Amino acid sequence: MERLTLDTAPVRPSAAVVAPGSNAIAAPATSLHPTDTAAVRDIVRDVIERKAPLRIVGRGTWLDAGRPVADLPRLALDGLTGIVDYTPGDLTLTARAGTSLSEIAAATAANGQWLALMPWGGDSGSLGAVAATGSAGPMGGAFGTPRDMVIGLEAVTGIGDVVRGGGRVVKNVAGFDLTRLMIGAWGTLGVLTEISVRLRALPEHEATLALPLPVTPAQLTSLLTRIRAASVAPLALELVGAALAARLGLERRPQLIARLAGNSESVASQRDALAQFGDLVELDGGVWSALRIAEPAAASVVRLSGPVARFSETWATAERIAALVPNAFAHATVLRAVARVVIPNDDDGLPSAAADALGALTRDVRVFERLPAALWPTLAPTAVADRISAGVRRAFDPHRLLNPGILGES
Amino acid sequence: MTVAVDLAEQLAEIVGARGVLRRPSELVVYRSDGLPGYSKQPRLAVFPRTRDELIAIVRLLAANRVPFVPRGAGTGLSGGALADDVVLVGLNRLTRILSIDPVERLAVVEPGVVNVALTRAATPYGLHYAPDPSSQAACTIGGNVAENAGGPHCLKYGVTLNHVRAVTAILPDGEIIKLGNPDGEADGYDLLGAFVGSEGCFGIALDVTVRLSPNPQAIRTLLADFTSIGDAARATSDIIASGIVPAALEMMDGPTIRAVEASIYAAGYPVDADAILLIEVDGLEAGLEADVARVEAMCKGAGARTVRIARDDAERTRLWQGRKKAFGAMGRISPHLVVQDAVIPRTRLPDVLATIHEISSRLRITVCNVFHAGDGNLHPNIGYDANDPDEQARVHEAMREIMAACVAAGGTITGEHGIGLDKLDYMGLIFSDESLAAMCSLREVFDPDRRANPGKVVPVHSCREWHGAPRAAWNA
Repeated sequence: MERLTLDTAPVRPSAAVVAPGSNAIAAPATSLHPTDTAAVRDIVRDVIERKAPLRIVGRGTWLDAGRPVADLPRLALDGLTGIVDYTPGDLTLTARAGTSLSEIAAATAANGQWLALMPWGGDSGSLGAVAATGSAGPMGGAFGTPRDMVIGLEAVTGIGDVVRGGGRVVKNVAGFDLTRLMIGAWGTLGVLTEISVRLRALPEHEATLALPLPVTPAQLTSLLTRIRAASVAPLALELVGAALAARLGLERRPQLIARLAGNSESVASQRDALAQFGDLVELDGGVWSALRIAEPAAASVVRLSGPVARFSETWATAERIAALVPNAFAHATVLRAVARVVIPNDDDGLPSAAADALGALTRDVRVFERLPAALWPTLAPTAVADRISAGVRRAFDPHRLLNPGILGES
Repeated sequence: MTVAVDLAEQLAEIVGARGVLRRPSELVVYRSDGLPGYSKQPRLAVFPRTRDELIAIVRLLAANRVPFVPRGAGTGLSGGALADDVVLVGLNRLTRILSIDPVERLAVVEPGVVNVALTRAATPYGLHYAPDPSSQAACTIGGNVAENAGGPHCLKYGVTLNHVRAVTAILPDGEIIKLGNPDGEADGYDLLGAFVGSEGCFGIALDVTVRLSPNPQAIRTLLADFTSIGDAARATSDIIASGIVPAALEMMDGPTIRAVEASIYAAGYPVDADAILLIEVDGLEAGLEADVARVEAMCKGAGARTVRIARDDAERTRLWQGRKKAFGAMGRISPHLVVQDAVIPRTRLPDVLATIHEISSRLRITVCNVFHAGDGNLHPNIGYDANDPDEQARVHEAMREIMAACVAAGGTITGEHGIGLDKLDYMGLIFSDESLAAMCSLREVFDPDRRANPGKVVPVHSCREWHGAPRAAWNA
């Protein structure tokens, strides 16, 4: 088989069109689309020889996320697809990294199961990208994030080695944890090629209900405290600001959307327990998918988090920043105490009022998902400032060939 | 020897003379951990009482380039806490619970806090610490972090990794670093995830911030008994495939049941059963009975003779006591014991258990199976007499064959006990040389000199560009 290298690669037109105001940089001329692990390894070994860095992408659905990576040849994993192993009775699944979440959702739903990750951005992206970015969504409070759900992976490191961490079983402490190390590393320690995840059975019954939100932070704290003590075990509790509620086709007011699940008796009882906190509105379960794809193409996105005790303040901050820009909106995953602000960019990028407000935040932890290239150095210069992180990068990608700059490494 | 004497004196200056053990007769008790069969004597043992003493010790060892082994309660089952002629740092005196925050549902503890002591301290708030290894009455949170410990209730609630929010660690070179973020999301590499389960090779936790979980509103504990271990395995596979996630789903086979019932931990298990399942279902009260009824029906459908539901807390405690003390009970049967920890896909339980039975019959050894069936995490225990070389050889062969069968079924070699010394030889069964080399290079980021828990987890020959331990000063 002919080796796929930068010289021999077929040049494909890039699928992504850079929209005005987008954070994304121009599409490169060269894009490699390997279809197996050996081809990924060959490509990485080739670029090691040339010291020619690569931009690693999954299915190319979220290219403006993370710090800007220079205009480099792309190693795209959209050809490395397919479910490798799925035995429904084991509730585990192994797929190649470029497999879309929708393909996994279809295969598992046919057996009454699901990968309960449901990250922001919808199901068109790849499993590999979700693992590489550690992305979570509204179910993250009940089921955890990729670090809790990925049980093993295979990757090609920046020294051209094919390595595996974990395995295909649900419990595993063999060796040092390369799996956790690679999850959320944005491809800088290795190109993910295969991922194993744990699945869950789809709920027997479920209900999605909306509650109106009280006005003041103190009232919100009190409401959430009482819900926490109530006889409910929601899969998700999402605060949705008025702007987002309207965008989702709901009444334009801040609300709390709850996803309840269990057997019929359990769901009925939980519904009764929630009803004591206000007038419940029954929503279509499709609201969860709509919520995940609500953000526009050219936008800046930041997550704010802090202690549970200050969550109402964090939410108020998110709402305040969203109010600065037309069509911006906020929502928050109560069970993780994480708020998320989505701000449409104008033609110059992130409107300065929002940029200034985000820059002035001191109390909440800010994790930026999407931001115009020029703002990263001031708002979030690096995620890997410490000596150990630098050492890990050196050990796994000594030539800085994989997504250089995406974590702000010096 | 002079160096060791000097070092002992310097350590004594930090912790006081009574905090350093140096006489062979005093060090004998530290030769083993919970797994009999290995015996390695430390050169010295030192027991800090405070965080500052621990920091001073690690820095003194760093300055002298002395290898060391951190040790919690020594209940581990992989030989991981054995110090072979190096310094053993005992953390079991660092027992302070620094804070419990019921609003954040977080606790900050020193590494020597005993697992069950944390749950006891959280009880007044309606909270508990979820990972519950069978040794929880003795094992420490620091040890749990090092091993990424599991336990029966990890089936539903996850292992130690899923419950640790942050760690302040001292690296082998004496630097103090913070991993994870208790006050919000963590960004950057998941160094906390890498540290948890690193078996004492990446440094020592000075404090650990763990999540506390709300106590379930309702709990039902079921005991199902079977006349065939294959039926019990099928019931397990059926329950898992049904989508009900029990809080725990444990299996004990006939020899284990009879060992427990003959001991002071007798729990009222049916001694004529070939296998029992101990199943716990918990959650909200409403709807729980329906799940219990489904579990009961699946057990009966797979051939259970009876399914008994614990009537009260006392009965529930008794049923669990028998399970958690099963290892202890087996100590009555034979002088030596080995235990494996392989994990297999849950659908493979019936055939792998049959293979284990075939291996043990053919090699004329006694295997007791007591394990986390819901996770597919097997614990075949083999009792034997180490003074009988023929029996010892057959046990060794059986261990190899069982491990190979589990790996062939798509499994892994350890689910919760760790590699330590015991499973070093099996690492090559599941990891390529490239993967092992990557693990070595990760370790070297945290501990370039490989002084922390030397010789454990990854076989030394797997590591590239390695020119031997820098032990010159220590060995002078």
